[in-house]
Amino acid sequence: MTTVLLVEDDPNQLLLYTEMLKGEGYDVSGAKDGREALRMVEESRPDLVVMDISMPGMDGIEAMSRMLSKDHKLPVILNSAYATYKDNFRAWSADAYVVKSSDMAELKETIKRVLAQNSAESGG
Amino acid sequence: MSEFRLDIISDRWVIVAPERAARPTDFPVERRRAKDGFCPFCEGNEDKTPPELFALREPGTDPNTPGWRVRVVPNRFPAVRPDEPAASSENGLFKRIAGAGIHEVIIETPRHVLSTREMDVAQVADALLACRLRMRAAAEDGRLAYAALFKNAGAAAGASLGHMHSQLIAGPVVPHAVLTEIEGVRRYRAEEGTCVFCRTAEEERRTGDRVVAEGDRFLAIAPYASRFPFEIWVLPRRHAARFEGEDQETLGDLAKVMYTVLGRLDTVLGLPAYNTILHTAPFAMRDPDDYHWHIEVIPRMTGIAGYEWGTGVHINPVPPESAAAALRGEGR
Repeated sequence: MTTVLLVEDDPNQLLLYTEMLKGEGYDVSGAKDGREALRMVEESRPDLVVMDISMPGMDGIEAMSRMLSKDHKLPVILNSAYATYKDNFRAWSADAYVVKSSDMAELKETIKRVLAQNSAESGG
Repeated sequence: MSEFRLDIISDRWVIVAPERAARPTDFPVERRRAKDGFCPFCEGNEDKTPPELFALREPGTDPNTPGWRVRVVPNRFPAVRPDEPAASSENGLFKRIAGAGIHEVIIETPRHVLSTREMDVAQVADALLACRLRMRAAAEDGRLAYAALFKNAGAAAGASLGHMHSQLIAGPVVPHAVLTEIEGVRRYRAEEGTCVFCRTAEEERRTGDRVVAEGDRFLAIAPYASRFPFEIWVLPRRHAARFEGEDQETLGDLAKVMYTVLGRLDTVLGLPAYNTILHTAPFAMRDPDDYHWHIEVIPRMTGIAGYEWGTGVHINPVPPESAAAALRGEGR
């Protein structure tokens, strides 16, 4: 089963995204901030990371950057309510960007697209 | 004693207030530093940027693969867009022009270096050559009025990544700062019959007090009415209106002077944040007498507070004569 790591500091949103992605057939785990996400990726590499940006402790761009320094090919989707990432060149490393919305169709489609792209590139 | 000084080119006053700093280099500098983690500008990570527009590459290497010395890519999140149709409108007080233009990133080195000191003169020359070629391409676009070439180094200067890079934003308007300087050049020529930048270079070379470095074709000075501590201007000694018109030999000399200036800045001040900004003639300007291109280097060690915002008059605690001496390695 395809594994997705959700990184989100808002517990209600984390629950909502988790249920939505489980409903799509993914094996979903959650982290409440960047540091916890780093630990979880070290323990078990997911097939894809959906990363919030604005989080206490370590923000999503920093966490993504540290993950990619160890695993350049790990697919990451930045999922944020803010557009401030556009001023940050480090955000270029993400595979896709989704603006948070109550309609989750865009996130679902983006996850499918990034997974398919990654599978094609790795010959899977 | 503090004093007001006038920049006669921009007709702009500054207050030089040396009693505000004990010694010229006494500043709490927020040093540029390498953040841990992945860098999308480093060689080997070409898949993390949009496809390249231009690169200086080793023979036999393909676009968007390793083997480059300088790489130019479009900004993934541009401030202006090449596909925006040119359009403008005016409604009484309110004028608008569509944000049609070019926003590119010049990645100056394949290695993750934070300082010009870690590059060599040939690498700086390569970066300048790439900048010139992209400026020429922008000029040929036909819809654009001006291209701003600038570098942000360090978080306090607006950089989000330490890897040395510059940006080019070309759009349909000419910035006020350049228009003001063009007016200053025309005014001085009408009164004195010569270019004010050429006269400045001659006079600064004669006295030497504010000279930071000198090449065969360029002069680096701490300008008389410096707005910021350790502000530096790099001027062609021979009159030239536009950067993109310079030949390769001239860019080679510019590379030597920029390498020296930025290296000394980093050595003397300890990797401060800074901006470099190219001021060059607007694309449509026809009379080469009307401007003299130059590069401004602005270390970001002091804030811009209410007085500066409200009046346009900057307070500079380091006399440019002291800054130049420190950058030449004297009086420390």
